[in-house]
Amino acid sequence: MIDDETLDRQLREAVPYIDDDGFTARVMANLPTTRRESGWLRAVILLGLALIGSGVAYLIGAGHVVREGIIELANFPIWLLLVFAFGCGLVVGAFAVVFAIRKTPEVRDLTRLEF
Amino acid sequence: MELTDADLIARVLADDDQHAFGELVRRHQSSVRGLLRQLTRTDVALADDLAQETFLRAYKNIRSFRGEARFSTWLYRIAYNCFREDARRRKELVGVDEEQWQAQEDPKSINPGLRHDLMHALRLLPLNERTAVVLCCQNGLSHDEAARVLDIPLGTVKTNVLRGREKLKRTLAAWAPN
Repeated sequence: MIDDETLDRQLREAVPYIDDDGFTARVMANLPTTRRESGWLRAVILLGLALIGSGVAYLIGAGHVVREGIIELANFPIWLLLVFAFGCGLVVGAFAVVFAIRKTPEVRDLTRLEF
Repeated sequence: MELTDADLIARVLADDDQHAFGELVRRHQSSVRGLLRQLTRTDVALADDLAQETFLRAYKNIRSFRGEARFSTWLYRIAYNCFREDARRRKELVGVDEEQWQAQEDPKSINPGLRHDLMHALRLLPLNERTAVVLCCQNGLSHDEAARVLDIPLGTVKTNVLRGREKLKRTLAAWAPN
């Protein structure tokens, strides 16, 4: 009688690899798109709200605050403006790095490595 | 460097990356379709429909995959559930159909060749034994993993594998080396 090992090997070998033949494409064509759409919708809503908020703030008179702020900033010494720009760059860069790590699984996994 | 299943799943979760999910489908389509073909007794069209349903469910529920088991094991579980639900919908009482199907089989239709005889013998097994043998012996799942896929006790899986193996061996006794 055939032993277990031979039987298992024969069973594995008896199953041929099934060619894709468009199967993956059919699955992909039927995937729901609601999550992707909701992401776009969320971005459009956020952008719209930001624009409306800016417009309202300008109309109720907050515009002169921005104008005065820019004029005041222009009167600052150049070295202070450079320091301010550098600081802003650092903050934005730090946010970008954190966001990139969160969005990139390979990097995220690397940051979790323990030696 | 080829991405692992875990990397691809992470991309699907983080960015809803459908290309990453497509790669997962490409990697596992053969084994999932193969399993379903065994369960449906080589009804290729039905097996592929169920396989498609399996991957769609996997995509919708991928957030519930916690990585405790292999991704393939998780897929097998979904595939098995799809098969059972479909069988229930069709009101196919598996036990009754097994006997009817076995009675309808014409031994003369068996082609020569160990592989063909093996697959034929496998299809003759009752569903519970066939499923356990396909998962454990053919797809390399441990008894514990198969028990999780089938949602049955570990001891039942072991018994089904043992019985299935014995029946296959008896059927294939003629092929044993002297």
